[in-house]
Amino acid sequence: MSMLVADGLTHRFGSERALDNVDLVLDTGEHMAVLGDNGAGKTTLLRILATALRPTSGRLTIAGLDAFGERRRLRHYLGYVAHAPGLYPALSARENLEFFCDLQDVDRSRVDEALATVGLTSVSHRRAGELSRGMQQRLAIGRAILHDPRLLILDEPDASLGADAADLLAGLMHDRTAVLATHDHALANRLCPRTLVLRHGRSLGTATHLRVVR
Amino acid sequence: MNPFRVALAVARKDLRSEWRTREVVPALAQFIILALLIGNFGFQVDSRNAASIAPGILWLALVFAGLVAFGRTFAAEREQASLEAMLMTPASPVAIFAGKAVAASLLLIACEAVMLPALSLFFGTPFSADVVAAVLIATVGMAALGCLFAAMVARVRARELLLPLLTLPLWIPFIIAGGQAVQSAMGLPGSYSEAISLLIDFDILFLVLTSLAARFVLDE
Repeated sequence: MSMLVADGLTHRFGSERALDNVDLVLDTGEHMAVLGDNGAGKTTLLRILATALRPTSGRLTIAGLDAFGERRRLRHYLGYVAHAPGLYPALSARENLEFFCDLQDVDRSRVDEALATVGLTSVSHRRAGELSRGMQQRLAIGRAILHDPRLLILDEPDASLGADAADLLAGLMHDRTAVLATHDHALANRLCPRTLVLRHGRSLGTATHLRVVR
Repeated sequence: MNPFRVALAVARKDLRSEWRTREVVPALAQFIILALLIGNFGFQVDSRNAASIAPGILWLALVFAGLVAFGRTFAAEREQASLEAMLMTPASPVAIFAGKAVAASLLLIACEAVMLPALSLFFGTPFSADVVAAVLIATVGMAALGCLFAAMVARVRARELLLPLLTLPLWIPFIIAGGQAVQSAMGLPGSYSEAISLLIDFDILFLVLTSLAARFVLDE
């Protein structure tokens, strides 16, 4: 069964076309990487797939539901790690997650599990603003999995994660459908059997075995 | 999902952040004291004219303090990219908005707790429950409108300029009715109860309107 079906997704920022007629089908449990240079449209595509941004035109279905008609309902299924961590610097790592538990309507007992998954148990009392960039990114990932989502949308989560990024992400993506935007071709090859390549907002196609040709 | 729980969580988070950073309240309290001082020295205040000048100074200081307090509520969320994270949850945007409006109102009320005794001290006007009630009732509606426009302009670069331009015209009814209520509480002619009823009417009207609009403003 298809978890995600995108049909002709197009998005314009003013006169600039950031995403141009992108089609995509992702089966349940499938992992797909999105590659492309800076400005290729990766973040725009991922924000649309995460229902954070409404496309100018095109249609998106997630778990059989119209993604923008049923947006609020779908957010129970969706975990999104954005480009910026988007944390509250004055709150501790634990308080950040507890706050999002309240918003996600999940039990606060999930916080310990999420902190352990992303390896932040020992610094859970420290304020988010005092954590390193990599730890903040881990905390943002922990927030995305608090409600145990079936679909993960990850926008360059490996950017500052360090050496064990691949293992951490592999663990998160296991048993979930995932879309991963990255610049790291090796990581994409390791974690995702399929790859979508974007250039200037257009899809250059998908491949099952990635070979990068410059 | 319980919207009251969401609103409470958002308000608690904002107040906790402010308590730890002390970013808004000390600066606003300082601004209010300075505004009252300038008003005191700028006008030749004596016991005969204090009751007519003090309400004007009070509302001027309150309006500008409110613009800063409400402007920060959403600007900070945009700057740290946390608003999108909140809106990516299944929580109702109206509940999120309500929580932020409650927190911003409480911060402004904390500033009012400094302003009203200081007003009484500098201008020699009575510090009565009627004055406090008029200011608190006006704060509710002003907070709802201020937060709505703050949310609207948060994504715009010139938000510091746009926020007063959008907000001040709609705050005028609160300033007129609030001014009248405070003046009559300070012993000048005018019906206090009529002014308070008008303020309550404005509160209800703008609370309903902002609740309806908040969904569209926050839900991109």
